[in-house]
Amino acid sequence: MKEFSVNIQEYIESGKLELFLLGELNEREREEVIAMAKAHPEIQQELDSLEEAMFSLDELTGVEPSIQTKEKIFATLEEDLQEKKISTPTAAPKETKTVKMTPWKPFAVAASLVAVLASAAAIYFAGKFYETDQKFVALQQEQAVLADNLNQVKQEFEKTDSRLDRLVAGDFRRIEMVGESFDMQKDAKVDVFWDQSQQEVFIAVNRLNSLSASFDYQLWAIGPDGPVGIGIVDPSQPFSLQQMNAVAEAGAFAITIEPKGGSESPTLEKLVVLGEVA
Amino acid sequence: MEEKELIQGLRERDRKTVEYLYEKYSRALFGVILRIISDRDLAEEVFHDAFVKITQKIDSYDESKGRLYTWMANICRNSAIDKLRSKEISQSSKTNTIDDFVYGLEGGAQTQEKIDGIGVKELMDQLNTDQKFIIEYIYFQGYTHSEIAEEFDIPLGTVKSRLRAALQVLKKNIERI
Repeated sequence: MKEFSVNIQEYIESGKLELFLLGELNEREREEVIAMAKAHPEIQQELDSLEEAMFSLDELTGVEPSIQTKEKIFATLEEDLQEKKISTPTAAPKETKTVKMTPWKPFAVAASLVAVLASAAAIYFAGKFYETDQKFVALQQEQAVLADNLNQVKQEFEKTDSRLDRLVAGDFRRIEMVGESFDMQKDAKVDVFWDQSQQEVFIAVNRLNSLSASFDYQLWAIGPDGPVGIGIVDPSQPFSLQQMNAVAEAGAFAITIEPKGGSESPTLEKLVVLGEVA
Repeated sequence: MEEKELIQGLRERDRKTVEYLYEKYSRALFGVILRIISDRDLAEEVFHDAFVKITQKIDSYDESKGRLYTWMANICRNSAIDKLRSKEISQSSKTNTIDDFVYGLEGGAQTQEKIDGIGVKELMDQLNTDQKFIIEYIYFQGYTHSEIAEEFDIPLGTVKSRLRAALQVLKKNIERI
């Protein structure tokens, strides 16, 4: 209890009450001061005496506004102000209630009320309809984009699936091409999958650096008639199968870097990987 | 008139009550504005608008959130600060210091104001330098406590405690004048 009263004293001395009176606290802090004052009479008392002091200070430092300003204020307020009511405030509403209406009046009132409500509802629902319509169009567009995406993914999948089917069903052998013995990319690694009987070739890039836009990787099948270019390798799709041109005879496969689009014969100085058919 | 009765009358837009409110509070409320806005004509204009606002917005006043005078004084103070900032009066030309204010009062034509001016000067002389500084900026230049803290690099807690100390001194001395 003693500790608690110390806290109250601390609260009073924190300067918060002064700021409250100066209107400098935010909503949360205001609520807090109000709650504290309600809970602790000492705080309320301090608040009251501070307000009194501030009023005295304002009054002391203040002067009367000019009579012109006073007149102007009351002229501005003229329409708002009323002379002192004669009846007590509670008497007025009762009087209104006892006013009798001729029979048509309630219907007129009800009818106009219905009209007003109906118009309001119409405006409200028109607004709602517009809003909903907009949302619907937006959703439709979104749906079209999603359908497009799905279609693309589906095609991708079918392509991959058919490759996989052929890979699994066929008699493929795997030839590892590595860059270890060359200076271009020591850690480059690309696998060739070759079904000699069907003459089908797939490759799967394991690790291959990307190239500038003016160069391509070209795959070569090295057979009895020398190297034959069998397609461009895309290094940006690692671990996915890329189908290359048909090959019947090959003792080795290799990849070189060639000008964009590939060359007739390989640039041997730019040999990246090589793998011999076992 | 009790505060409750006063508020009731204001809510009913009763002319007599508004007149009473004016008689009782116009001096202090105008003081709040005049402290911040030194231009007398401009201050009168702000007071006109603020008093009209008080009368017309009385329904938005909530007794549970503070006393009537605090609410009215805050409206006046905020109107004055708004006007001051809207006029874009630069900091340097904001010459409203306690001394200017007291001098302005002393220089006034009316004897009444002259006597009050001296009273204010005596009162302010009771404050130490730090306290006077805080009162000057908050009361006479319309700064908020956080603006003072920021602009003059004084910790917020120090501003608060100096404000409290200053008001305690003024409160204690006000009864003697």
